[in-house]
Amino acid sequence: MSFWYPATEAPALSNVSFAVAGGEVVALVGGVGAGASTALLVAADLAPRVTGGQIEGIVSRTERSGIVLPTPWTQSSGMAFTVWDEVAFGPANLGWPAQEIARQVDHALERLDIAALAERDPITLSGGELQRTIIAGVLAMDPGLLLLDEPTAELDPAGARAVWRLVRELAREGKAVLVATSDLDALPDLADRVVWLEGGAVRASGAPQLLADDAVCAAGLGTTVAGVWRAARLEPPYPLTVAEAVRRWR
Amino acid sequence: MRAAHPFTQLAVAATLPALAWTLPAPAAGIATAALALGLTATRGLRRGLWPALLTAAPFWLFLFLLHDARTTLAIGLRITTMVASFVWLAAALVPARLVEAMVARGWSVSAAYLIAATLSAVPTLRARAQRIVEAQRCRGLSPRGSLRNRMRALRALAMPLLLSALHDVDERALALATRGLVPGARRTPLRAPADPVLERLARWGLVLVCVGALVWRLV
Amino acid sequence: MALSVALRLDGVGFSYGAVQALTDVTFTVAPGERVALLGRNGAGKSTVVRLVTGLLAPAAGTLWVGDWDTQGLAPEDLAGRVASVFQHADQQLFARTVREDVGFGPRALGFSEGDVARRAEDALEALGLTPHADEHPYDLPPALRQIAALAGALALEPALLVLDEPTAGLDRSWRARVADALAERAAGGAALLVVTHDLAFAAEALERALVLDGGRLACDEPLSGLLTSAARLAPLGLLPPTVAALSEGLALPGRPVRERDAAHTLARVARGGPRA
Repeated sequence: MSFWYPATEAPALSNVSFAVAGGEVVALVGGVGAGASTALLVAADLAPRVTGGQIEGIVSRTERSGIVLPTPWTQSSGMAFTVWDEVAFGPANLGWPAQEIARQVDHALERLDIAALAERDPITLSGGELQRTIIAGVLAMDPGLLLLDEPTAELDPAGARAVWRLVRELAREGKAVLVATSDLDALPDLADRVVWLEGGAVRASGAPQLLADDAVCAAGLGTTVAGVWRAARLEPPYPLTVAEAVRRWR
Repeated sequence: MRAAHPFTQLAVAATLPALAWTLPAPAAGIATAALALGLTATRGLRRGLWPALLTAAPFWLFLFLLHDARTTLAIGLRITTMVASFVWLAAALVPARLVEAMVARGWSVSAAYLIAATLSAVPTLRARAQRIVEAQRCRGLSPRGSLRNRMRALRALAMPLLLSALHDVDERALALATRGLVPGARRTPLRAPADPVLERLARWGLVLVCVGALVWRLV
Repeated sequence: MALSVALRLDGVGFSYGAVQALTDVTFTVAPGERVALLGRNGAGKSTVVRLVTGLLAPAAGTLWVGDWDTQGLAPEDLAGRVASVFQHADQQLFARTVREDVGFGPRALGFSEGDVARRAEDALEALGLTPHADEHPYDLPPALRQIAALAGALALEPALLVLDEPTAGLDRSWRARVADALAERAAGGAALLVVTHDLAFAAEALERALVLDGGRLACDEPLSGLLTSAARLAPLGLLPPTVAALSEGLALPGRPVRERDAAHTLARVARGGPRA
């Protein structure tokens, strides 16, 4: 698949191919402007349908998708008085019966650990609380394919860890997850596969072991441990995580 | 006191100015302005009465400079009614309830949302405006001083707000599309506001009063 | 004119209505010092930032920026000494080009056009933004706008830089660039006060830790010791950053917390140097 934003000559994505299956977590990594966010928009059927632009190639989906964009405050509905209503916004728009909506919303609030915030006005929430509310709102729509663009950007480290744990749980439950993130150190435990995007094209893809690959580290996209190993001019293959490094050291 | 149905609120906010403009001044103007200001007072001094008076004041000043006392009074009262009605509506109408009311009636979800989104953008923008003012002040922007200074200050405060708001609109369209707000969506009303028969009758009554006033005026 | 103290808080207290946000906070920051302000949400970090920038006035105690007592001074008066970048700074940009926006601060302070241009150029250069200098801010992604806001603060060439979560949303290469730019400024005499929970960034860029807990100063110590102690970080809801965890796990001598230092030590030890 290749994609051009409206009125641009250079493609935002060129000849990108990958697949995500139910139960899998695939991570998109790349620098600013590499095309990860665009790829998510295409997967969500928002590009070119809502963004405009041109697309070539085939995109096939077998599940309804839900996307979480990186800036929480642009995603709040703007018409919910309480967090509960905000999370219920999506399901209500899908026309589900009220009981089903209540069930999904309560479940989503619990999973994101924000049930205590249910009666709060979304305007008063902190960035992290709002981000979790938005994620809950998308989760409540029960999508088969979950698309996450920097879902932990506003969260503190404890909150980020909780979200990654939730992602793995969702994959175990059979959802397909495609996530773009710059939190590379979290990927070895999080992702089943990693796709490296550069300048809109796929440079490499494979198991998270890719993040210890020499070329990837040279591009600044390896895990911290792999990066340190490489900077110390030790021999590849580099360890991915602290645990692996400690094992190897002994 | 339970809040009235959003449609009733809209009806009242539209009726008062309509009557002020159609019925003979200054009696009608005094009555409707008094009613409208009374409504704003129910919202409290800070959020209701004071903003209404503050917004209407410049108009009185201009009228006073341009017209004689009688015309000033007549038009001034009508404008005061309009301003006060709008201020009351902005404070009393909850956008979420309006959308739910529209949706419960079977109106298009997208149209309902457009109205609600416009109304509810206000608190977000107000909070952001405050953040921008603080940030620019910390960069040395002084709102005091010469006229040139003040103009520069205005640009540094208004532009970021406008630009970021416009930019938001783009992103918001994407986000809403993904949450199911698409043309043709049939939304389940979550909290449809109660619409007792009495209020419905009252609304029709208000419409009749307006039409009656217009007819009486023309005839 | 060299100041001996960049920032001093003496018994500072503040409350929002009935809620006591800060109680008896006392500390001094010297020129060139790089301080991390840590603590849970609600511990009082943003209150300290707002007091230092003059947006709030202390209810108790005194606050000095350099040799100026902030009592009675407005934020725009303090802008000559303190430059700050708050969260979501990407929303404060408004000029037609990045370069013009970066020059806004110095221009508002009254510097000559030549000075303004030089300062803007230096700031852009330090952060690697020069390739984007003539673009419209909103043509850039939010991450780069945030960097541009930081450049605006650097262009003020302040004695004290106060930053609130400067690396939120940035990837590793931009975080490194920010760390380098800040280190350069600190070497030139500027003091840094950075609120952050990005400990990997703090490890690279900062050296001293001030920890707030429930509005009080709980500890004031060198950062590296704190970073390698999982037990001390746990009550703050934080984990040791990867490099510190690696140092601890491999028992590297000196327990380096910065990537470069860790790589250096690792290489040395691997070559057969002392493992103690």
